[in-house]
Amino acid sequence: MTAVALLQWVLASVPEIIVVTGACILLIVGELVRKGRDELLLWASVAIVLLAAVATLMLAGEIRPAYAGMFISDSFAVFFKLVFYLATVLTFFLSRKYAEIEGIGRSEYYVLLLFALLGMMIMASAIDLLSIYVGLELMVLCTYVLTGFLRKERRSNEAALKYVILGAVSTAIFLYGVSLIYGLTGTTQLDRMAEAVSGGPLDPALLLAVVFIVAGLVFKIGAVPFHMWVPDVYEGAPTTITAFMSVAPKAAGFAVILRVFLNPLVEASNAWIIVAAIAMATMALGSFVALVQDNFKRLLAYSSIAHAGFAIFGVVAGGQDGIASVMLYLLIYAFMNLGIFGAVIMMRNGDFSGEVIDDYAGFAKFHPGLALLMLLYLFSLAGIPPTAGFFAKFYVLVALVERGFVALAVIAALLSVIAAYFYIRIVMVIYMREPERTFDPALTPLVRATLAFTAVGTIGIGLFPAWFLRLAQQAAFGG
Amino acid sequence: MSIPLLSLIVFVPVAGAAVLVFMRSDDAVRWTALGFGIVDLALCIVMLAGFDTTTHEMQFVESRPWVAALGIAYALGVDGISALFLFLTALLGLISVLASWVAIDRKVKEFMVSLLVMQALMLGVFCALDLFLFYVFWEAMLIPMYLIIGVWGGEGRVYAAFKFFLYTLAGSILFLIGVIVLYFQGGETFDILALTAQDLPFGVQSWLFFAFLVAFAVKVPMVPVHTWLPDAHVQAPTAGSIILAGVLLKMGAYGFLRFSLPMLPEASLYYSTLMLLLSALAIVYGGLLALAQDDLKKLVAYSSISHMGFVTLGIFALNLRGLEGSILQMFNHGITTGALFLFVGLIYERTHTRSIANYGGLMKAAPIYTAFLALFTLSSMALPGTNAFVGELLVLSGGFAANLAAGTAAVVGALLSAAYLLGMYGKVALGPPSVSAKYKIHDVNGREMAAILPLAIFVLWVGLYPRPFLGIIDASVRNLLVQVHGEGIGQ
Repeated sequence: MTAVALLQWVLASVPEIIVVTGACILLIVGELVRKGRDELLLWASVAIVLLAAVATLMLAGEIRPAYAGMFISDSFAVFFKLVFYLATVLTFFLSRKYAEIEGIGRSEYYVLLLFALLGMMIMASAIDLLSIYVGLELMVLCTYVLTGFLRKERRSNEAALKYVILGAVSTAIFLYGVSLIYGLTGTTQLDRMAEAVSGGPLDPALLLAVVFIVAGLVFKIGAVPFHMWVPDVYEGAPTTITAFMSVAPKAAGFAVILRVFLNPLVEASNAWIIVAAIAMATMALGSFVALVQDNFKRLLAYSSIAHAGFAIFGVVAGGQDGIASVMLYLLIYAFMNLGIFGAVIMMRNGDFSGEVIDDYAGFAKFHPGLALLMLLYLFSLAGIPPTAGFFAKFYVLVALVERGFVALAVIAALLSVIAAYFYIRIVMVIYMREPERTFDPALTPLVRATLAFTAVGTIGIGLFPAWFLRLAQQAAFGG
Repeated sequence: MSIPLLSLIVFVPVAGAAVLVFMRSDDAVRWTALGFGIVDLALCIVMLAGFDTTTHEMQFVESRPWVAALGIAYALGVDGISALFLFLTALLGLISVLASWVAIDRKVKEFMVSLLVMQALMLGVFCALDLFLFYVFWEAMLIPMYLIIGVWGGEGRVYAAFKFFLYTLAGSILFLIGVIVLYFQGGETFDILALTAQDLPFGVQSWLFFAFLVAFAVKVPMVPVHTWLPDAHVQAPTAGSIILAGVLLKMGAYGFLRFSLPMLPEASLYYSTLMLLLSALAIVYGGLLALAQDDLKKLVAYSSISHMGFVTLGIFALNLRGLEGSILQMFNHGITTGALFLFVGLIYERTHTRSIANYGGLMKAAPIYTAFLALFTLSSMALPGTNAFVGELLVLSGGFAANLAAGTAAVVGALLSAAYLLGMYGKVALGPPSVSAKYKIHDVNGREMAAILPLAIFVLWVGLYPRPFLGIIDASVRNLLVQVHGEGIGQ
């Protein structure tokens, strides 16, 4: 162990080190910030994330393994980290006014988000089941707390409790799977595991281990049959946190899933049949149950389940296009979902919660511009061209057909028609109902900036997908 | 570097929509929309003037890579099959603006923006030479059309808008899978011309034929997936009905001509009898339903189903007369049915009722209106001297050559159309006055006349001298027949 090698390791993890250092400093200094100067916390947090982003981009050129096979900084990880940064910064922007209204804008809020970001970054770079576990736990512990952040609201408390208990069970299942793997192969490193089993006939216990690991991970992305927590947690959590959780931790879960599932060991165990079944069930459940929701956040929870299902179809497809399609899907989903959540968050003003879909009746009459943005996000979520959401779905379908899964592609496509119904129902409420009240959306410059940015992404990636496609493909092929 | 004429044609309406967004007064919005419509129509006329009728090759071709990694290009071009539809779309777009001049009195700006975007997307569908691009245009149309029906429609507009949206989406999503399968079968390209040149195995052709059929049959619409049409038509505002009947329905048939026939020739031949019988069913069934309607719009809507049956009959007759007749008939149907919906809209604005039973003796109150109504009614039932006569005659002679039973059914359908159309005209225009006694009905004004006259001119022009129109489509249809039947047979 030379000093140079150690330095190399440290270099590979500079972005993580920036975030953890920044978060710790903010934790201490944040308490000194006087009331009413909360925006200092916001800008400090944004600066930390941007600094990490710069470091990540500077390291992006080559593959840097570190910490004795626990950690790697490759283009795959870089892509996911950029998605996390994007989601985190936009969440900060959306939080400013909302946190003020709800009275939660203290330094812990920002610090916890930063630690959650750190956990996700570790997940994206982890190549050992144990380092995956560390990142995963760091992330979910922070989101448990953030979910219950509305301390005086019973919904929020209930959601947090539910989330902790179910999350702990799923983590235990995951760890049990890891222990089985270790017992059978003698390692927890992803690539060593593959070597250990290649050649000989597959041990049935390995399949069991894989199923446990799958179960633990599937919980994090809210796929069937481990989706029960999603609607309650999404509804109960502060809306900004819901927006964050529906994008970033989900992407982190997919990062791990892609690393683990596309491991030769898992491919050898025919786990793709299980995954295909999960994808179908997830999408069907999300789409059908969303049809009858009245609460906007709950509807978006089921919508996020359905989208997770669609992205899992990309995992089923596998291969380079399959991986790239999942990654592109998550990037695009980050834009459109944060956009629609931004619209929900902005409605929360004064005593008005804006969580019921009927609250939006006739919104287009008073705010045609904002209504148009919501129309854009909703049609993008429904997957109608020329929005980005269409291209995301299209590329997953291409990956599926390329691998010969035409029947799965047909199922995925038909289920997305059902999903389209509840998005256009919201469009109907916005455009085709008469307004029952006036609207006073909490439109701060930061919220406006977020909405504009996500709208540009949603339409821009739809019209000019080539660059983003290449980005995802390079990340998938090179890592 | 020549002028990208087709891109201009497609994007002039988009530019118009973008300009409208920044306008405040409703009148300015109307005039600007009209102005952009006129420019677009003028560009289409320039395109037709420069159109070479002697070749079946694509003309005015533009091509740029779009998503190179997946072989997607931004490629536009026209041939004899699509040229007339570009013109028809621009013309009906303009007439839709005129038809909504006073009929749309709230959210005028939003309406005109939707209308112009819709026009751009429809134009894009007809000149896309890349399957992905085609699909983007095709599917994106759902957004403005959903809004046009749902926001500015009648009482049951929300239900009709949902039905339209979901039917079309469900149909075209299978088409999308078919497109992707075709992409991998045809050497990883979305280039329509390259895919046309491929020779696919029959099994693949069969599957793709049915995947495409679902999408196109919903759009046409063919029986039994036609049920969205009457709802959408009845609820849509006049402009929406004109666009729907005049252009949107043509897209399904255009899909058959552009994709099913040239790319899947063996499957098209194999299933042509099935398609002929479905067409015959649509002709007769649509006619019978039209016979039973009391609502003017519903009557025209069901007559559309019947008339579009003629179009698909001509296509799947797979001979020269059938195909040329059906393309001409698509153009005719756009003109005539567009005009009929316009007329229903005009009278509805005055009386606020569409029930035939409420009308009678309009001839006294509005002589000019009823005179033109007579012209378009006669055109719709294909009286000699009007446009539809030429088209229907060609389709019938092609249809009889292909399948006796289907041809016979089509003749029955033609008789039915005479029955319901004459019946409608008789009750509305002739007889003792009813509504006109209660309401003061003024005759057509100058603006309305400006919308009616061009349509009337085309009714007579195609009816009396169809050669220039057939000349445009001839070379491409002959080439299409070679693609379907192989060299030397195509007659």
